[in-house]
Amino acid sequence: MTAAAPLLQVRGLCKRFGGLHAVSDLDLDVRAGEVLGVIGPNGAGKTTTFNMIAGAFEPTSGDIVFDGESLAGVPTHGFAPRGIVRTFQHNKSFDSLSVCENVMVGMHTRMPASLWQVLAGTPASHRAEREARRRAEELVDFVGLAEFAQAEVSTLSFGQGRLLEIARGLAARPRLMLFDEPAAGLAPGECARLEEIIRGISRQGIAVLLIEHDVRFLMALADRVAVLNFGRKIADGTPEAVQADPAVIEAYLGNVENLAHA
Amino acid sequence: MKTVLSYLAAAVALSAIAFLLGAYQTDVYRKLLLWIALAISYNFLFGISGQIAFSHFSFYGIGAYTIVILITQAGLPLPLAVLATVAVCVALALVVAIPATRLEGFYLALATLAFAQLFIVVLNEGGSITGGTGGLASYRLPEILGVRVAGPWYTVVIVVLMLATLAIVGRLDRSWFGRACRAVRDNPEAAAAMGVNVRRTKIIAYTITSALAGVAGMVYAFVDNTVNPHIFGLENAFLLLFMVIVGGSGRMAGAILGAVLLYVMPFVLSPLIGHHHALVFGIFMVLAVLFQPRGLIGLWDRWQRRRRQPPAPRPQIAKGEAVKREGLA
Repeated sequence: MTAAAPLLQVRGLCKRFGGLHAVSDLDLDVRAGEVLGVIGPNGAGKTTTFNMIAGAFEPTSGDIVFDGESLAGVPTHGFAPRGIVRTFQHNKSFDSLSVCENVMVGMHTRMPASLWQVLAGTPASHRAEREARRRAEELVDFVGLAEFAQAEVSTLSFGQGRLLEIARGLAARPRLMLFDEPAAGLAPGECARLEEIIRGISRQGIAVLLIEHDVRFLMALADRVAVLNFGRKIADGTPEAVQADPAVIEAYLGNVENLAHA
Repeated sequence: MKTVLSYLAAAVALSAIAFLLGAYQTDVYRKLLLWIALAISYNFLFGISGQIAFSHFSFYGIGAYTIVILITQAGLPLPLAVLATVAVCVALALVVAIPATRLEGFYLALATLAFAQLFIVVLNEGGSITGGTGGLASYRLPEILGVRVAGPWYTVVIVVLMLATLAIVGRLDRSWFGRACRAVRDNPEAAAAMGVNVRRTKIIAYTITSALAGVAGMVYAFVDNTVNPHIFGLENAFLLLFMVIVGGSGRMAGAILGAVLLYVMPFVLSPLIGHHHALVFGIFMVLAVLFQPRGLIGLWDRWQRRRRQPPAPRPQIAKGEAVKREGLA
């Protein structure tokens, strides 16, 4: 590992819902260009952790530091301009906009023309609009939806909708991209395509954090894997090391020795 | 350049009409243009930004009353009075929007309905300032540099107002701001994740459209040369809503179509069925909501699509529509 501080540092993160400790004392690091996978059985606190890092939930305690800046108190819409962008497990598209325009919403915080320039119809605002459309078409092409660029979102399949989510996220020029169970609901062929796209994103130097149910998909993709159980991290390491970890095996399969004696 | 030319052509054509009309027709034509202007800005607020607000027509009234009061009672010269009226509309819109945009759907509708009612109460109880139930009358448009704009030339002012509203709202619609408004309406959670400040977007949309309604009201004040509480009641606020829904909310052409249709309808129907034309309104509304949520412009779109590629089946689109229809059923 390089000496540079990780891009994302999660320290002592806790989230309580009433008496339930959904996440307790969690530490995570993600470096630029690294793919961190977070797995865990149902109810392990993956989604809660994800939502805190994405800015949708406020942590009960602990800190999330991104590029040296604490994100405590930053509103949800403050995450994208800082370079943190997410996808949704259940695709959340903007249905009254075309595929291309959905991607252009991703550029919201990067649009150079002010509202005044828009109202005045200045050449700069027209140029910005043309440039945004051109980039959106590139991104739509990158995820393989070029033929649908001008189509309504309702004409996309679920898997294509997931790809649109990714293109929209990339439009924000993220430095950290968060994937919420990206493989959920996809056909095997679509999974392979998704894997390729996420690798491509990581190669561009973008840090990737993904939570996933599909262990096989995640192990193939992640540089490092963190395992959660009952809101705590029980393992953190390379996919191989984690798969061999007795604590992980126990969390997933129950106590194997007890099983053998039964 | 092409858009500038088409706006110029529209301005010339619509202004030319003004010089051909008699007194009664001029009155109808002016009000039609004003309804179109209102429907265009309300379409952005309701159809694109998705805010179910009933305050739009009240801002029309606020604009009308404010300019009359500033000119006749405060004695401001016209240009200053115009600027001050815009400022009043923007300020009031912010006062309403900042708390109201915390509310959604039904609750925003209730809050703005309350505001609309309050406005009527203030007009009725305003004493000599608002003229009470009788309103304000017997004032005239002041002269500018010794010239009083009147007759067909005042109709030209209204044409310019309508086209300027169309240009402003059209620019907003086709910009990042219009996309942000639609994104907030379609899915606020995803919009926020993309960096859209949901509340701020709603407040700006509300303020700009309300100010546009105020400016239209300002122009209206010198059409009838009288303003009274009766004009700015809820009846017309609902008519505005119907115009946008029947025409096709979210689409500029739909709003214009709805405004023309619902404004002209009583003139055509009244001689035939008298006051029952209100019933036809209601039937139109119910039909639109039940069978054509995209309004008349949605019918037009579908017809265009069919004409462009006649028999070739488009399975993916057909599937999407089938799902939508099932969802409605």
